Amino acid sequence: MADHWNFVAAAYGLAILVLGGYWRRLVRKERELMIAGDQRSRQRSISGHPRSEPASRHPLP
Amino acid sequence: MNLNVTKLMGWLAALTLVAGMVMGFGVAPRETTQGNVQRIMYLHVPTAWVAYLAFGVVLAASIAYLARRRAGADRLAHASAEVGVVFTGLTIAAGSIWGKPTWGTWWTWDARLTSVAILFVMYLGYLLLRGMIDDQERAARYCAVLGIVAALDVPLVHFSVYWWRTLHQPPSVLKPGAATMPPAILAALLVNVVAFTLLYVYFVAKRVRLLRAESEALA
Repeated sequence: MADHWNFVAAAYGLAILVLGGYWRRLVRKERELMIAGDQRSRQRSISGHPRSEPASRHPLP
Repeated sequence: MNLNVTKLMGWLAALTLVAGMVMGFGVAPRETTQGNVQRIMYLHVPTAWVAYLAFGVVLAASIAYLARRRAGADRLAHASAEVGVVFTGLTIAAGSIWGKPTWGTWWTWDARLTSVAILFVMYLGYLLLRGMIDDQERAARYCAVLGIVAALDVPLVHFSVYWWRTLHQPPSVLKPGAATMPPAILAALLVNVVAFTLLYVYFVAKRVRLLRAESEALA
């Protein structure tokens, strides 16, 4: 039977694209969350209103 | 899993993937009947195994969520379902590419291929359902139920080749008794199974961390 190397290359090439693409998506999302987190903490420090402790955020009875 | 362990897992996965490629293309011999196109097996079988594993984890985490209502179990189920969908899609695509030169067709509606396609669509639905419900607790509950129901398709996929007449061959490794392949081919396959399993663990750990960060940002 013929070797069909083009099919082998297509399968592995697709795997590299899919898995590499998914990995890049995770890394990009991680970076976006980190930037958003930094911006939030910077805004908090500029406004001078530090985030309250979790206990004080409970609604009043 | 902390950040350093996740990074280490990523490097381990990358190294074993390279080792798997060396084994698959350098050490394993050319298969006599199919020729070199059989080397697609070192991609197709490990991704199928990871898909089984991923949906097994979804099943366990979904049961754990319904029993204890811990957000961590829900995040694990969500992450594993997403990674499982990626690997199932890849399994179907690689199988289709392998099928064309060996079976003469890209696709056939036989029991194995159809049950895998149903599995893929069910978990795509699982991910869509999560995106459609705003209430986190309700989304987690509905998805846990769907995650359990959809996982019931995994044994159907695996045993379909025994229960129905299919074009797809029966399993050579995940079956009772010894594996029916030469040792060099089996070794290459097992190295790739380990490599893809490590990649799955790395992806899930990274995705769980992201889901936690997202929910903390929303809180």
